Amino acid sequence: MTDNLLVHAYVDGELDPAHALELEGAIAADVALAAERNRVQALRDLIRGRLAHERAPARLVGRIESVLGARRERSRPSWGMMAAAAVLAAVVASGSTWLTLRPQPPNTTAEMVVASHLRALMAPQPIDVSSSDRHTVKPWFNGRVPQAPRVVDLTNEGFPLVGGRIDVIDRMPVPTLVYRHRQHLISLVAIPAAANMPERQTIAGYNVIEWSDNGVRYWAVSDLSAADLDSFAKAFREASPDR
Amino acid sequence: MLPHLDDGYRLARWLTGERADAEDVVQEACVDAFRGIAGFAGGNARAWVLTIVRHAAYRWLRKNRPAALVSVADLDALADTQQGQTPEAALIAKADAARLERAIAALPVPFRETLVLRDVNGLDYRDIASVTGVPIGTVMSRLARARGRLIAALGVDEPSG
Repeated sequence: MTDNLLVHAYVDGELDPAHALELEGAIAADVALAAERNRVQALRDLIRGRLAHERAPARLVGRIESVLGARRERSRPSWGMMAAAAVLAAVVASGSTWLTLRPQPPNTTAEMVVASHLRALMAPQPIDVSSSDRHTVKPWFNGRVPQAPRVVDLTNEGFPLVGGRIDVIDRMPVPTLVYRHRQHLISLVAIPAAANMPERQTIAGYNVIEWSDNGVRYWAVSDLSAADLDSFAKAFREASPDR
Repeated sequence: MLPHLDDGYRLARWLTGERADAEDVVQEACVDAFRGIAGFAGGNARAWVLTIVRHAAYRWLRKNRPAALVSVADLDALADTQQGQTPEAALIAKADAARLERAIAALPVPFRETLVLRDVNGLDYRDIASVTGVPIGTVMSRLARARGRLIAALGVDEPSG
């Protein structure tokens, strides 16, 4: 994730205080970034001022009332209930932002894996070692983590290897492989564990699949669709490391 | 639905491109919402309403403006405005309403809806992700690309009126 994307998140108030401060520092040091911030801010204010206050025409309310009138006689769920739900939702949803999405520390491994993936996307490079050659990537992990991960070549399946990095999950350095599918990156975290079947979940809009093979637990995270990430997991599980 | 009628109308107006068509879309969405109200599981009612309006608007687009619905793959391939487009912020702030509206109308639908949900409807990134059914990272990149195009369009001297 580049500073450019972060400028938008900053202007939109979606950064938590620490990241906002960091970006303010970057803006102070970089004239071009400051100019970009001013442009985004000017555009946002312009749209808000000109377009955000348009009201639905009064006749539309009449039209809807008459279309729904007959239905309302028959079934009972009321607009009053809807309005009450809206008020409740406004209270519940207040203060929700992006990087402050989880102000509490992430507590499950899957959440920590997603957090690492997000941090990597924000860094200038999502990887510590950059190579599409598994014979370069695997040895790089030796001596950095207790157990170098299984690295397979999935280029033919449409998932070329980009490189690897070390993430820290539960205070443990763990090897993470990075694959690519079209323009999307997939982080694959491997931690020694017992075997079991894949499980899927979505955290903050990112799909996460976890499974175990040969005593290693894997977490794959990406903004790819669940189906595409499933194909990746399947290709990885089925690929022989010696191919 | 009625509590969020204005929001629904604003989204439909920018998705269809015409205020009269937006009224039809919102009316249909109201019927959908009324039918589905038992399925409303709590949470953000405004995002729920906007999701229903968006579905109704897409139905309308498929029927009346099929060419407007570009596939996501086409979107990935779409060239972004070249770097070096760095107009003064003051020039953007002065842009007149008609020009701004033309520039927004020219955005591909996925960019346009992200921009409208953010800057016209005022949703946060998480709600935009839930309304449009894409990850937050995609919301961020679409928003940045949409704004980049608008800045490029508003930042040059207008050729004629």
